[in-house]
Amino acid sequence: MKITDACIFPYPDGDSTVSRMAIEAGELGFDSLVVIGDAGHRLSCAVEILQGAIITARSIKEVLRDLRDPAVRRADLVCVDAGDLSFNRALASTKDVNVISKIHATRQNAFDHVAARTAAERGVAVEISIAPLIHLRGMKRQQALNRYADILALHRRYGFMLTLSSAASSILDQRSVREIRGLCGLFGMTGAEVNEALSSVGRMIEPSGPVGAVR
Amino acid sequence: MRTKRRYILARILPYGAAVDQKQLYLSVIEAAASLLGDAAVGLAQPAVVYCDAGYAVIRCRRGAERDIAAALATVTAVGDDRVSLRTVAASGTIRALRRRMRPIRPIPEDEEITIGERAYAVCRYPGQKVDLIEKGIKHQKRFFFSELDLEER
Repeated sequence: MKITDACIFPYPDGDSTVSRMAIEAGELGFDSLVVIGDAGHRLSCAVEILQGAIITARSIKEVLRDLRDPAVRRADLVCVDAGDLSFNRALASTKDVNVISKIHATRQNAFDHVAARTAAERGVAVEISIAPLIHLRGMKRQQALNRYADILALHRRYGFMLTLSSAASSILDQRSVREIRGLCGLFGMTGAEVNEALSSVGRMIEPSGPVGAVR
Repeated sequence: MRTKRRYILARILPYGAAVDQKQLYLSVIEAAASLLGDAAVGLAQPAVVYCDAGYAVIRCRRGAERDIAAALATVTAVGDDRVSLRTVAASGTIRALRRRMRPIRPIPEDEEITIGERAYAVCRYPGQKVDLIEKGIKHQKRFFFSELDLEER
């Protein structure tokens, strides 16, 4: 079971380099990181570095256009920022989209049971970022917790995957697996669900299945 | 009757950050009250009993250590300085936590590096960690590199 932080933003987007964040992640209990931006060489350290790509688009047409970008095609994990209800439903059924992210910033019913069922069928995951729980205060954090609780209820009902990320741009934003478990417990996620969410990136990238013969 | 207490050991990042105990307490209280509410924090009775050498010990009521540990994860600054608290352990005694404290000291070296137009002092730590601290008096910017990054520069 590979424990993965599904999204980090290293230097130059942040103040910490990939290698430094990888060292810290190893100490915090992670086996791999998904890097948004330049992952550099896949360093020979204990922590595996995966290349991620984030698409921010207003329409499915833009998403499909961005998916054809060579940098996005090279990525191990493709994340698309969530939008309104119809956009999210279409996103869940779009090929090559792995993760729907920034769900905390969407409206109450932007991700509904239809999108949940489609995501479960297509193997699309929904990202839960702990960054809003750490950095936001007041009503915005309450909204994020509320959205995550809704997503968790849909996950339990329909069985789509969840991923967990720190969205860290610095080693100061990285949190240990135990701390993530504590923060996720605030909106009702159990320890087992947290472990499953942390290992879902590994399952998406290396899906287990019957061995096929290549002729 | 005397309430039973638990003590949480937290490491203060970045290494070498000079953190005032009272300021840290105010940050912890603010984070906990914002996350858990005044009622829960009032019952938990958190307090910072030790803050030195890159570690802090936070006391709380027994049974509230999980909630306080979650609140410590949401502390992002102490005063004007950006700081992070990483929970190391929880125990019933401070003595047990002292055995877990391993101060991390920089490897003494007088080195400088330039990024852009600014000069940064190089602080090397065990485990291939390198902190670059901007030369100046106040609000110095920091970068977090590794030995490998410095070799590539």
